[in-house]
Amino acid sequence: MSSQHPLWQNLFKAKEDRTSEVTEMWMDTPLFDKITRRECRDLVKTMHPRHYKKGEMVFNSGDIGASIVLIRSGAIEIKAAEKLLAELVAGDFFGEVALIIDEPRTADAIACEDSELIFFLRSDLEEWIKRSPRSGAQFMLNIATVLAARLRHTNILLSMQTS
Amino acid sequence: MFSLIFTAITLLAILLAPLLIPIIISFTLYALLEPISETFERHGLSRNASSLSVLLILVAIGALCVSLLLPHLSSQLSTLQSQLPVVWQSITTMGEDISQHIATSLNLDIQSSRLTQHFFTQVDEWGKAALIEGSNMLISLSVLLVLVPIFTFFLVRDFRTFRNNLLDKLPNSSFEMGWLIYYRVAHQLQEYIRGIMIQSAIMCVITTIGFYILGFDSPFLLGIVAGVLNLIPYVGPLLAMVLPVLLALGHVPVEFWLVGAAISVILIAQLIDNVIVIPAVIANAVNLHPLIVIVGIIVFGNLFGFIGMVVAIPVISTMNIIYCGLYQGIKTRYNLKQKAAIDI
Repeated sequence: MSSQHPLWQNLFKAKEDRTSEVTEMWMDTPLFDKITRRECRDLVKTMHPRHYKKGEMVFNSGDIGASIVLIRSGAIEIKAAEKLLAELVAGDFFGEVALIIDEPRTADAIACEDSELIFFLRSDLEEWIKRSPRSGAQFMLNIATVLAARLRHTNILLSMQTS
Repeated sequence: MFSLIFTAITLLAILLAPLLIPIIISFTLYALLEPISETFERHGLSRNASSLSVLLILVAIGALCVSLLLPHLSSQLSTLQSQLPVVWQSITTMGEDISQHIATSLNLDIQSSRLTQHFFTQVDEWGKAALIEGSNMLISLSVLLVLVPIFTFFLVRDFRTFRNNLLDKLPNSSFEMGWLIYYRVAHQLQEYIRGIMIQSAIMCVITTIGFYILGFDSPFLLGIVAGVLNLIPYVGPLLAMVLPVLLALGHVPVEFWLVGAAISVILIAQLIDNVIVIPAVIANAVNLHPLIVIVGIIVFGNLFGFIGMVVAIPVISTMNIIYCGLYQGIKTRYNLKQKAAIDI
């Protein structure tokens, strides 16, 4: 009977909803292209949700980077040398370079609203690759595609500036 | 921060001192069994069911080892016991012969009997101490047999949840760094523990075969001793030579080729270990300077005995990773503060 109690029902439902919602958000990104929803969902269970107040630093340029971050709610500004590079909202992700290389962050990320962020750590990705090498390879291919698109975009911007 | 963590770990170690050995063994087994539990979970078992399955496997392997190995071990141990008086007698005679020879050739008056008497009084005291230690170990062994499976079960079942709860309590500013340090430590320790276990098993097999070929009466026992002592880097192989050399000296008349062959078995095993096993199994598992390793083993051995010698390397390696991670993080923050101050 205890499972019928509204408090317990709501508690479990909330957790379930959050997992489903975050899964859908990841599935909408190009990173989980050709990866099953079930696998994404299993992975979401290992991710780490964190809450940030408005104006709080998510990371500084030069900090140790170990994860890619998905914005579940709120908004984040990405800055480099005090210059605004991007303003990201719910459903966007950032920091994907840290999933590939063990190097310090190259830009600052600041919460410009109260935000909930979902961290997907490199170590969790490495464990997932060991468990499911085929899906892991697909994920790495997807990241490479995203990084290549960003590089191409930067090249176009640079060539426009120089011309 | 580093000194705070170090103090907390030291205090915890002092508080948990009576349970330190079962905890270390349980963590070792956890490192070995966690991948099996994960495999079970991936195949649809719940966390409880997979932990229980792992516990059952552990108990089954333990029972199998005890039932298969214990009779052999006890018979070889009794053979060794019966050989020891002969070994002492042989070494006494040899010592007297050598001192006689030195006295004659150098024209010195050496009282060989007093020297050997002193030596054997010392050895006798060591032997008594070892016997007391041995009987204490038997009592501890029965406690271990009960505690280790229980601790291992709970570690396999709950460690991940406990770790997540603990690390998620870190402030936002240190969250990523905390996880990064944790994973580096966990990865390195797991690699080291798995590597050194495989290495010790291989050493045990090689030396057992070697001592069997040489015709020793207790090859399996000597192999196990060599395998266990191999857990101590650098010093272990030297200690592993003591027992076979003493047994070789115990042959009447003394056969020096057997002494050389006994040393050779350990040396060949070490050679195979260094050339094949270490590069393949525990390469880069720890990246410490040999001098730090040796000093660490001596200090930890002095403080905590044999277990201290075994855990010295993983403990120093863990402290090294935590120190490097925190240093890198603090340095970044300090540089950022300085940059902000200059900007203002």
